[in-house]
Amino acid sequence: MTVALINASPKVKGSSSGILLGDLKEILGSRAEIEEICLRTGKITSEIKECLMKADTWVVAFPLYVDSLPAHLLNCLKQLERMKEKHASLSVYGIANCGFYEGNQAEPALNVLKNWCKKAGCAYGGSLGIGGGGAIAVSGNQKGNRGMRSSIYKAMKNFADTILKKECDMNKYATVAFPRFVYKLAAQHSWRTMIKSNGGKKKDLSRRLDR
Amino acid sequence: MKLIITDIEDFEFQIEGEHKVINPQGNIKYCIGCFGCWAKTPGECVIHDGYQRTSLDMGLCDEMIIISECYYGTVSPFIKNVQDRAISYVQGDFILRNGEMHHKHRYDNKFQLSAYFYGEDITEEEKQTARDIIAGNAENFDAKLKEVLFFKSAEELRGLRL
Repeated sequence: MTVALINASPKVKGSSSGILLGDLKEILGSRAEIEEICLRTGKITSEIKECLMKADTWVVAFPLYVDSLPAHLLNCLKQLERMKEKHASLSVYGIANCGFYEGNQAEPALNVLKNWCKKAGCAYGGSLGIGGGGAIAVSGNQKGNRGMRSSIYKAMKNFADTILKKECDMNKYATVAFPRFVYKLAAQHSWRTMIKSNGGKKKDLSRRLDR
Repeated sequence: MKLIITDIEDFEFQIEGEHKVINPQGNIKYCIGCFGCWAKTPGECVIHDGYQRTSLDMGLCDEMIIISECYYGTVSPFIKNVQDRAISYVQGDFILRNGEMHHKHRYDNKFQLSAYFYGEDITEEEKQTARDIIAGNAENFDAKLKEVLFFKSAEELRGLRL
């Protein structure tokens, strides 16, 4: 089987979606041929289309934006819906990562992907909704099976089995391997560090714009 | 102030009271996920294409109305783009509300949120997904959900008084 790992984060590097797909790639190992694709803009080029056509399974990884898919991914899906010739044999899986701690906040967004599959005429195989996306982004140099991604890695192993069997499963949810209050404090600290490195002050984080 | 965000280019509705309409004008750029609107120029998107200050419009409104073609149970790419570029309506910091994590507010207002979706073949599943997403938006903006309605075409919406 050929699996297209589709990174739909708009970020050029260091995306949580990319890190999660890296873990999935490691777990799939040599059991599947892999095509790696980035969808950073709203355009499906002929090169991207060619890579997608080679695969019988797609795994679309994206960040949760405002309870849904990022705008550019919606645009891509609209274009891909028209690839009807491909879809009869295609299985699609999703990985949504939320900035929030609770991965199940991605459920409506994953249902958008499921609805797309129905319109496009392909099989929806289920998805992973991942919480704590902000922490995943800074854990890229760690092994997935240890440290803060270990709980997600465990869910990813089961997810990989479902993909390899081309089975259909319910959406599953996982989050980073540390408590919610720690995640909340770490995020708070990170915004303060970022604003300072950008030449601002802590109080600027709550700045209101003037008319 | 009523804030109306729509993907209809030739928008001609009867709107009562003070209002602002955001609809496709020029070329809107996609969010690049840089978080500059939270930690570089807080409250404002770093991409200056005319859509960088929507978070302020949201902060000034008492009612927000989304009028969108339904895309698989969510808003159209234009509306979504406006939303993605306006995440600085809230701050990066988290709070806990109703047992879930959400973002801390930047402004003091609490608006009513409605969504009017249009499209020829919106399925029941898509309608439910759209209701869930708009309810999620209301929860995340700490807004009051007013209504989510579905129409068979943009034309059918034209008689609506907003």
